[in-house]
Amino acid sequence: MSLPGAGVLGKLRVAGRPGLRRIDATLPVWVGAALFLVFLMLLPLGSIFVTSLRDEHGITLRNYLDVFTEEAFFKAIWNTVVVSFWVGVIALGIGALLGWLVTRTDLPWKRAIRALVMASFVTPPFLGAFAWTLLAGPNAGLLNKLYRSLTGSEEHLLNIFTIEGLIFVMALYSFPYVFSMIANVCELISSDLEDAANILGAGKMRVALSITLPLAAPALVGGFIIAFLHSLSLFGAPAILGLPSGIHTITTQIWALFQYPPRLDLAAAFSVPLLLTTMCLIALQKKILGRRGYSTVGGKGGQRRLVQLGVLRFPVLLLVVGILSLSVFLPYWILLKAALSKAWAVPLTWDNFTLGNFGFAFFSYGDTQRAILNTFKLGILTATVGTLIAALIAYITNRQIFRGARFLNFFALAPLVVPGIVLAVGLFIAYTRPPLALYGTIWILFVAYLTKEMPIGFSQAETTFKSIHPELEEASRIVGANRLRALRDVTAPLARSGLIAAWCFIFVGVIRELSASILLFTPKSKVVSVVIFDLKEEGQIGVIAVLGILLLVVSFLVIFTVQRLVGRDVLASRE
Amino acid sequence: MATVQLNGLTKSFAETAAVNDLTLEIADGEFVSLLGPSGCGKTTTLRLVAGFLKPDAGQIRVNSEVVSSPSILVPPERRSMSMIFQSYAVWPHMTVYQNVAYGLKFRSVTTAESDRRVREILAVVKLAHLAGRYPAELSGGQQQRVALARALVVKPEILLMDEPLSNLDANLREEMRFEIRRLHDEFKITSVYVTHDQSEAMVVADRICVMNQGRVEQVGRPEEIYESPKTRFVSEFIGKTNLLSGSLEEGNRIRIGDGLFLRVANEGGSRRGEKVWVCIRPHDLELSRAADHKQSHVQEGFNSFSGTVTRRIYFGDAVDYLVQLAGTDLVLRVIAPPGRRFGMGEKVFVLVHPERCVIVG
Amino acid sequence: MRKIFVSLSVALFVPLVNLASAQDASLIEAAKREGKVAWYTSLALPSSTALAKLFQDKYKGVEVEVHRTGSQRVLQRVMQEVQAGIKNADIIHTSDAGHFVLLKDKGLLMKYVPRGTAVIPDGFKDKDGFYYGMRATLTIIPYNPKIISESEAPRSWRELVDPKWKGKLVTAHPGYSGIIMTHVAALLNQFGWDYFKELSRNRLHLVQSANDPAGVVASGERPVGVNCAEYFCYKTMKQGNPLKIVYPKEGVPLVVSPTAIAKDAPHPSAAKLFTEFIFTKEAQQMLADREGLYTGHPEVTYPKDKPRLKELKLLPVDPQELEDKNAEIKKRFVEIFGA
Repeated sequence: MSLPGAGVLGKLRVAGRPGLRRIDATLPVWVGAALFLVFLMLLPLGSIFVTSLRDEHGITLRNYLDVFTEEAFFKAIWNTVVVSFWVGVIALGIGALLGWLVTRTDLPWKRAIRALVMASFVTPPFLGAFAWTLLAGPNAGLLNKLYRSLTGSEEHLLNIFTIEGLIFVMALYSFPYVFSMIANVCELISSDLEDAANILGAGKMRVALSITLPLAAPALVGGFIIAFLHSLSLFGAPAILGLPSGIHTITTQIWALFQYPPRLDLAAAFSVPLLLTTMCLIALQKKILGRRGYSTVGGKGGQRRLVQLGVLRFPVLLLVVGILSLSVFLPYWILLKAALSKAWAVPLTWDNFTLGNFGFAFFSYGDTQRAILNTFKLGILTATVGTLIAALIAYITNRQIFRGARFLNFFALAPLVVPGIVLAVGLFIAYTRPPLALYGTIWILFVAYLTKEMPIGFSQAETTFKSIHPELEEASRIVGANRLRALRDVTAPLARSGLIAAWCFIFVGVIRELSASILLFTPKSKVVSVVIFDLKEEGQIGVIAVLGILLLVVSFLVIFTVQRLVGRDVLASRE
Repeated sequence: MATVQLNGLTKSFAETAAVNDLTLEIADGEFVSLLGPSGCGKTTTLRLVAGFLKPDAGQIRVNSEVVSSPSILVPPERRSMSMIFQSYAVWPHMTVYQNVAYGLKFRSVTTAESDRRVREILAVVKLAHLAGRYPAELSGGQQQRVALARALVVKPEILLMDEPLSNLDANLREEMRFEIRRLHDEFKITSVYVTHDQSEAMVVADRICVMNQGRVEQVGRPEEIYESPKTRFVSEFIGKTNLLSGSLEEGNRIRIGDGLFLRVANEGGSRRGEKVWVCIRPHDLELSRAADHKQSHVQEGFNSFSGTVTRRIYFGDAVDYLVQLAGTDLVLRVIAPPGRRFGMGEKVFVLVHPERCVIVG
Repeated sequence: MRKIFVSLSVALFVPLVNLASAQDASLIEAAKREGKVAWYTSLALPSSTALAKLFQDKYKGVEVEVHRTGSQRVLQRVMQEVQAGIKNADIIHTSDAGHFVLLKDKGLLMKYVPRGTAVIPDGFKDKDGFYYGMRATLTIIPYNPKIISESEAPRSWRELVDPKWKGKLVTAHPGYSGIIMTHVAALLNQFGWDYFKELSRNRLHLVQSANDPAGVVASGERPVGVNCAEYFCYKTMKQGNPLKIVYPKEGVPLVVSPTAIAKDAPHPSAAKLFTEFIFTKEAQQMLADREGLYTGHPEVTYPKDKPRLKELKLLPVDPQELEDKNAEIKKRFVEIFGA
């Protein structure tokens, strides 16, 4: 046993057949995925900070000074704050009401209502905004025309090209976020908790105020912040509704700074406050949600009693359908009408009917064909790679594979605080120069989408892994499977439906992405959302409608197919 | 077959030591139970042995080769171990047969041989007729036996069990204890069994390692642990006990109260004048009425105290009394056979042989 | 039926092909080898795709990739690509002649003299041979005759500042459209910024493309445009939409839209072939007939219901002047109109 190799041989012998080896051979996979993630997040954000602090002479604060002394920029910030605040308030109102109604009352048609909320969620806000320009343009908008013909009035009822109009439309497409949070919490607050207060002598109202509301309060605040953040980061809707009346928001202002001659330094300096704001808000939300965490609410589901709406049942249903027709029925109808008519503003008669818009979009205009191809290529690619990486990262953090793994959480969720357009500014700076000259190819969009969709993929994957008991996997390892094999044989099959849902979310998120794409595309690498925006600038209404319908149809097809495949409600598992 | 040595093993989570300088040797073919309250570090120890955790200090050797140390971690799949988990961890997407056969994929076993072994072990755990079922279609006990079969079919050198019975109902639990012991007697696999249930440990284990706050309190055969607990913790944790404190005086006597002395058989290494704890099992105490005081007891040097019955609970096979010793606050718990009954408030004598009074550190 | 048509067209083209010189033949050959040409254009989407189709039908195997957006966006994309070292654009065509002064100065254009340009007047071409006006249009006042009667309709640029038009006007954006850039520059020379300040009090609806006011006016969203590309209005009108055109009496800005080949064009032969094609009488006539555009080609005839350029008081703008004022106009316009 004095021979040099003897120790090693001994080790191999000890454990019998599989042999003992000291190092976990799968470690490179985990470390690789982790490093990739960190790189993905740090490069663009780092680039923004660096660029914002530099001019041709070196380090400077001049960019910040320029940004914050210019009145136009200041106005844009103010507009953004006002709009986002009210969007938060309205989205909270609608979302909380609907969330409570479908979980805690005997409202009829709950499944249909949930499906329609999902439809609002899936509808790209820029498409909704576009549809609303056709519905509520002050003069030609169909709702205004209807109003005038009914009342004989000369005035318009609605003007969508105003701050109020912008708030209205953005709220319509932000409330589903609040809805899902509130619905979740309402499902978790068991009636027992309320009964406990009841039995101690509290009246119905008292119970609602002292038990139900405080339990739901973190979700309400959280929902407000989510809606606020969502509207803060939107680009398409403010560009379509705000710009025609001279209303700039932060995102449209950043976009304007990219016009020739581009002011990347100012755009970067302007992005930083947006970034910091979202960071603070997310931190605040975490704190609020964390302190009186759901754990007290969650745990045992308990029994839920449904509130009897009684005579109000029908009026309430009407109200709900009314709200949803604002976000779904009316916009979809006008899109369909615009797609099928020669002139969208006049009634769709046989004379006015045409399939020309479809023909032009799909066959005559090369840009749309390429864009459709690019969009789906990117959708499938990003969803697949994104799910894979998100799953690996979620797995690492969930199983604490190496020291410091929990910090990956932070990196995977970091894009949440990065509005798409800010991310695009960072990516544009980082990836237009060698050695990483991705600009001009679809790869820069791929990177953008991958980064942007990482939080959704990650949280979906994490929830999935959390629900799979680690012992299931350990059981496989102890009988001889290495980590990757255990992941493949045990965890992956069990996580399948959760990961397919993640894929689905990423795909739908990608094909509707506008705010990052708008800065990163080149004519060679256009995607459908960008083509829609381009066409909007030129006023090609029919063609936009066709492409919008295409996006919606594909999104719904994907969701339904996946739901069939997985056999459960995909959106329900969100959160 | 394998020996396992844990040497100075330490593992902390967020500053708290879950396992603290733990040393334990397990002989080839031995069945050792790690016993302790929840949070005592027994599961952590087991997971360290399995290789799911890396120690902060110390070593684990299998057949004298280091498999775990702060610098070395042989991954679990290379340790030729098997494990049965508290949650059973039966894979819900595989049939009973597939669950059991899974581990054989990693051993060069022919398909035919694999099939033979799976069928054989399924017969042993009485699941042969359920081979095609999915776990969701099985009862808890059946799932438990799938886990057992799955762990045994690979013929591990070491079998680790983490509270394998805690999710079963009482009757089934009792039955499975004997089943596990029977299988061990049949296969003679070196086994480590984690439990918080002392009676379970007594039934299955050759030796019990009692743990508390990350440390080993005592290691020994079940009867050693029960009859000669070395620490207060062990005496309290294993079985029911009366713990009395006092100071050791001349003639193996312990002063437990005003003019109240308890004779013990040996001093257990304590010095005169030292404050000690004495453990007396309720079963070892006898009650008698003054009238029928046995002479033999006096001759044999029994300790005898007078007192009053202050509580009586009837259990069918025994009666559980509390007796307050005269002139003191001391209360002793006595479990006596149901044959002779003593009433509430009755004056009695409590008798105990010095050999049954154990000094516990 | 279709077959007959195809053979008929082949028969028609045979003499043309025969006439083509050996030089042409080798250019076509080279273009076909390159297979496509990327055309960064600000010509309205239906017009540009129609022109591309005409070319593709003639030169089978050479695909025209139409990348259409507003003039300023075209420039932005070209410059971004140049900066990133991407060589994608073959032909650059915008309605802001100032762009070509800039591009030429930066050495980003290829010198190429298409044969068809020999007959084109001086106002349509660069003296050094880098760019040529492929089309021209006017900016005019469109109005919706269903809402505004002919007698009420504004006759001059000046009239538009009247408060009675408050909330009824639409403008396109010089930050997007080269036509509007030229338009603003031309009116600045006439009226100065005060005119625009006064105009802004009427709360204009802002759109981007110079073509978009036509749609906005025709739909009735705003019944009057303070500017619009005349060719697009003409087309919109001819399609039966409720729209009429006023050629203001103070004069109409003339917008000449140049085209040029990028210096680093990845498909230089196809680019040359397409440029040659653009300046054939055939293509120029098609722009006039189908798209309602004016061109520099002296032999091109125009629809009867369009005014001749010489009948109008034209307000041309020098390309150099456009380049000089570009940044200022964008900035001031945003200040005055808010976005």
